[in-house]
Amino acid sequence: MQIEAQERDDVLLRRSAKGDEAAFAELYRRHQAPLYRFALRMSGNVWAAEEIVQDVFMTLIRDPKKFDAGRGALRSYLYGITRNRVMKHLERVPREWLHEEIDEENASQAGPGFDVKTPVEWLELHERREQVRAAVLELPVEFREAVVLCGLEELSYEEAAQLLDCPVGTIRSRLHRGRALLLAKLEMLRDAPRRASASR
Amino acid sequence: MTCEEFELAGLDLETLREGDSVQIAAREHLRVCPHCAALQENWQTLQADLHAMGAETREAEAPPRVELRLRQEYRTRHKSLKARRVAVFAGWSLAAAAVIVAAVSWISWRKEAHQGAVQQAAVVKQKATSAGNAGQGVNLNGTEPAGPEIGETLVASNDAGEFTLLPGSLPGTLEDATVVRVQMQRGALDALGLTVNEERASDLIQVDLLVGDDGQPQAVRLAQAPN
Repeated sequence: MQIEAQERDDVLLRRSAKGDEAAFAELYRRHQAPLYRFALRMSGNVWAAEEIVQDVFMTLIRDPKKFDAGRGALRSYLYGITRNRVMKHLERVPREWLHEEIDEENASQAGPGFDVKTPVEWLELHERREQVRAAVLELPVEFREAVVLCGLEELSYEEAAQLLDCPVGTIRSRLHRGRALLLAKLEMLRDAPRRASASR
Repeated sequence: MTCEEFELAGLDLETLREGDSVQIAAREHLRVCPHCAALQENWQTLQADLHAMGAETREAEAPPRVELRLRQEYRTRHKSLKARRVAVFAGWSLAAAAVIVAAVSWISWRKEAHQGAVQQAAVVKQKATSAGNAGQGVNLNGTEPAGPEIGETLVASNDAGEFTLLPGSLPGTLEDATVVRVQMQRGALDALGLTVNEERASDLIQVDLLVGDDGQPQAVRLAQAPN
């Protein structure tokens, strides 16, 4: 069956529920990447993110009628399931480091906005990134969500509010608190080596 | 602008509109407050780090094996669902067919039974009528009945009642039967195979007998009182 690019999600889901595999595949391709990134950035673990995405779409296969188009977009619904799965994962495994294999390739590049001239600079940059990553993963979940969606995924406050099903003001305040916590944490991390070298 | 206000609204200077009053106040505050200037600098560095971190995983997506596993699961589920639907449909169809067959058979059996009974009644009635006519013919010939006596053969004057087949009689053997009215003791009915009230066995009763070709009574009815 032919799938139109602009075919609405709920139409595709209805077709998928009736056994149209192409419709299901199209839905998967449309939504898997942002959900995977969200799960990855929230959990810091590629295996967990993979499992979470699989679990989310498994729910869609098993019980497609759970989605009510009148209550919101499929994207928000899928984000909701992903958030629940992430929470469950974090309850089981409180914090994990972002798996090295993700940035194996990117680690060799400095990334946007960075002009690395020497290996020492590269090392410093790499270390700082690791610190930021760790600090993000240590944030309380509600602040982490806001930072991940608005800071990393670069969604607008309105989009993030829609996905997290909360008012824009809540997103704004969570983001503000998240930033403050991140700054405090990084400040501490950066000061620690300085203090250590000063005491020597 | 105070330091607290700056922290709340001024950190994202670039997101504020150029010439916005908050932006102007924030810039002014930055010039006079080294603490907030340092905070702003740290925030910009952090933002750049976050941006870079986001860029590292911007193209990240679930590995193709996830899609393969999901499609496999999808196929398995829908195949079994389809098979289950077919089985349920077939089951219901069979049940419906069985009900229809049973209903049709019952209706036709009822119809046949009813027709058989009607035909049997018609045959008996026809025989009784023809026998009655014959008896009346005898009466017309001047043999006046001299009143009922035991053992006297009488012609039935009223054949409207139903005959009861005596045990061992077949409806087919009644084609040439004749009706005779006899007066007999009630106990004599026992000899014809009918159940008799023993207490009144000696009572005299009038019965119409349907007598076959062989002279044997085939059916019996209690004679009705003439109007």
